[in-house]
Amino acid sequence: MSIEIRGIGKRFGNFVALDNIDLTIPTGELVALLGPSGCGKTTLLRIIAGMESADSGHVLFSGEEATHLHVRDRHVGFVFQHYALFRHMTVFENVAFGLRVKPRHERPGDADIRRRVTDLLKLVQLDWLAERYPSQLSGGQRQRIALARALAVEPKVLLLDEPFGALDTRVRKELRRWLRRLHDEVHISSVFVTHDQEEALEVADRVVVMNQGRIEQIGTPDEVYSTPASPFVYRFLGDVNVFHSRLHGAWAEIDRSPAGLAANGGDGDALAFIRPHDIDIERVEQHGSLAARVQDVHAIGPAVRVELAHGSELIEVELTRERANGLALIRGDQVWLRPRQVRVFAAESAGEEGGSGI
Amino acid sequence: MSTRRAITEPRWVRLLLTTVALLFLGCFLALPLAAVFVEAFAAGVPAYLKALSEPEAMSAIWLTLLVAAIALPCNVLFGVAAAWSIARFEFRGKAALITLIDLPFAVSPVVAGLVFVLLFGSQGLFGQWLSAHDIKIIFAVPGIALATLFVTFPFVARELIPLMQAQGRDEEEAAVSLGASGWQMFWRVTLPNIKWGLLYGVILANARAMGEFGAVSVVSGHIRGETNTLPLHVEILYNEYNQVGAFAAASVLALLALVTLIAKTVVEWRMRHETEMLSASLSPEAAGAPPAAASAAR
Repeated sequence: MSIEIRGIGKRFGNFVALDNIDLTIPTGELVALLGPSGCGKTTLLRIIAGMESADSGHVLFSGEEATHLHVRDRHVGFVFQHYALFRHMTVFENVAFGLRVKPRHERPGDADIRRRVTDLLKLVQLDWLAERYPSQLSGGQRQRIALARALAVEPKVLLLDEPFGALDTRVRKELRRWLRRLHDEVHISSVFVTHDQEEALEVADRVVVMNQGRIEQIGTPDEVYSTPASPFVYRFLGDVNVFHSRLHGAWAEIDRSPAGLAANGGDGDALAFIRPHDIDIERVEQHGSLAARVQDVHAIGPAVRVELAHGSELIEVELTRERANGLALIRGDQVWLRPRQVRVFAAESAGEEGGSGI
Repeated sequence: MSTRRAITEPRWVRLLLTTVALLFLGCFLALPLAAVFVEAFAAGVPAYLKALSEPEAMSAIWLTLLVAAIALPCNVLFGVAAAWSIARFEFRGKAALITLIDLPFAVSPVVAGLVFVLLFGSQGLFGQWLSAHDIKIIFAVPGIALATLFVTFPFVARELIPLMQAQGRDEEEAAVSLGASGWQMFWRVTLPNIKWGLLYGVILANARAMGEFGAVSVVSGHIRGETNTLPLHVEILYNEYNQVGAFAAASVLALLALVTLIAKTVVEWRMRHETEMLSASLSPEAAGAPPAAASAAR
């Protein structure tokens, strides 16, 4: 089932939670709503679920008006951030709940319920926990039970609120791969909310980046990472170096060196965004390279992170171990930086929080 | 361990404090309680039983039970409704409602009784209308039930509000998103989650309902065999120097207090147990723990 959101707005008092949101989620896609806390992503999810009502705009399911449909008639599966398992029921009864509360003429028989719940518990690989209570489960297990419970009513849409937020790093990684595989298996339209860019980029088919109640960019994980539409997206998705720059028509320069094409043209001050792994360090000066002094070298796992001072600005560069070994950098070395990929935004659209944001 | 030792008082201080507390308890609680039973059985078991089986005593016991049976269901209904609206919704006058719920705790029971006399007594606001329609409230069972309701209604609501606020809406929203109707959500999710708190409130309300003296005394009219509850019955017999009768009736109330205490302890224990389960299910613990270890830890 596809979801269409048209001009949705929501205020809480004077606070604008959502400002005229338009979004289409095609059937079968796994979409991430990504943004910092307070950007409105959870409110949007709850409006899709029908747990919150929008002040303006429309929600359409498969092209049909669903704006005023009650939660229980929307056939959405909702997975809560803290799972919200029924704590006085066993795992089995939790998953069976949606089937047991169906109106009498739709309700499956006991044997049927047993079969369907067991199938779902097998799907989430926890059939051996059927008789446990939620308090006896680990966080990751609770998450999977919450998912099985939501899937029991065969929802047309699956909505997940920060599904991995309350788990530790290792389990989080495992579970998100598992969720991706599960989605490929059951293939229902799913929307999940997250503030973790890595999670969104790894799991989703499409990422919706939100900020202050507005959508900043919609695109595949690759699109939003490699061609961010705004300075906010650049900063939010991964580390980035920001250089003060000047625009001359379509060209931008950093320290009088041509740096690259500007995204939005014009003349005047601008900010140039370069990812740490899009900068190379060289020992000799070349045309267009920038002078810098090495301040610190950290080897972090497979990569080597080099901190450099470019004038008063702090620059971070990420090198492969091989490259770093070849350069043999030590603190105080005078080196030359050569950006491989630069994106320039005019200063006013980049906002006031300039400087070298990492 | 060492920090615990460092803040522990010397042995003699601990002994002294414990002794003072125990002596106090003994003098002011255990001794009077024992005295009730000693006095009640002073003339022997047959006299005790005879005092309790007097028609007036039986009628007082019956009336006390009846009033409690009227007041408690009303309190459950009101308490759950009030706690639900306060814990789940934002509305104008919420703070006023919370304050009003506490009113019976703040007002003297005698004043509460007097209010009902002023409203429903023969000289009262609705007195003429009531007597014209031949409805008796004051000096009759309805008045006693009203007064009892007034003094007991905070108990259930007071117990449930913090509980429901702590539990939040998530489970109820989950139930509705799974297709449950309002009633199904209430019976299958809300009620099981608050049942121990509810029971605790009912026990406290019951103890108060059966033991209430002041408010009931004002509205009852002390008609023997008709509008005397147990506490009023005790007072009347005592004023007539009927020691055995007064203390026999008092012993029934004391027994009730003991039962209440035991029930309260059991329910408190169950509630703590559930709270531990609740806090366990909210902690963002590591999910990687092998299930065997998780079950062994219980």
